[in-house]
Amino acid sequence: MSADLDSPETGDGEANSVLVTDAELASIFESEALAYLDQLYGTALRMTRNQADAEDLVQETYTKAFAAFRSFEQGTNLRAWLFRILRNTYINSYRKAQRQPYSTSADELSDTQLLEVNSRAPGGARSAEIEALERLGDPEIIEAMNSLPEDFRTAVYLADVEGFSYKEIAEIMETPVGTVMSRVHRGRKSLRSLLAGYEGANAVGGEQ
Amino acid sequence: MSCGNPHATSCTEVVASISAYVDGEVTAEEYQVITVHLRECPPCGHEEQAHRAVKGLIVRAVRGTQAPTTLHARVRATFWSTEGQ
Repeated sequence: MSADLDSPETGDGEANSVLVTDAELASIFESEALAYLDQLYGTALRMTRNQADAEDLVQETYTKAFAAFRSFEQGTNLRAWLFRILRNTYINSYRKAQRQPYSTSADELSDTQLLEVNSRAPGGARSAEIEALERLGDPEIIEAMNSLPEDFRTAVYLADVEGFSYKEIAEIMETPVGTVMSRVHRGRKSLRSLLAGYEGANAVGGEQ
Repeated sequence: MSCGNPHATSCTEVVASISAYVDGEVTAEEYQVITVHLRECPPCGHEEQAHRAVKGLIVRAVRGTQAPTTLHARVRATFWSTEGQ
């Protein structure tokens, strides 16, 4: 199982045969890989935080994936393989170039920031917090997501929206499972803390 | 961060595992232990609800995201043009 996403050269499954013509390969690729375009685009949009870069990133991902597709092992996890290429392409081509107006590193989420929420409201006030969270609009959620460091944002997105297991996310992000667990956990806590700030802002003069 | 009652597993341990718990990433035994704890400990139960709420909000905020149709065409063009070179 651990060979799911290993580089095709080292795996022992069957790669797309060299006997397959380029046209046949393109046809297989089209029918199997193109189905993930919307998912890859949605993820790219959260990684890059803008539509133009997300489109270029997805296109570059498909170009690289097609170039490597002849050695892709049929029957292994194509979806996770594509997401791994997407993430690598982002790291190599976009992350360095993108200005990160917030924090840049996964380590920069401070524990005090994360602990703040826990100590905020005692007992009965807590379900009020959840009700307030659920009243927030989608733009505020996106804004809060965008302000997370990319490592956290992507881990949370892949778990919550794409429904990948931590093991798959570990392979996509090329990091240990324990790190994925920590990023998802701290990412969600940080979002909750950020959103609590929006709630506060909304609560001023807002009653419904 | 505790309801003050004694639990078989500490609140700290339970809270640390909450994300893994709501994502279905704990073992069957851990699931059992945490579920019992959450039932008897309102503050930890609240942590669970908050994590589920945040997860739900993210899904809601990005639902229905679709790539522009022009991108579908652009992507198709890349690998069909590579073919035959």
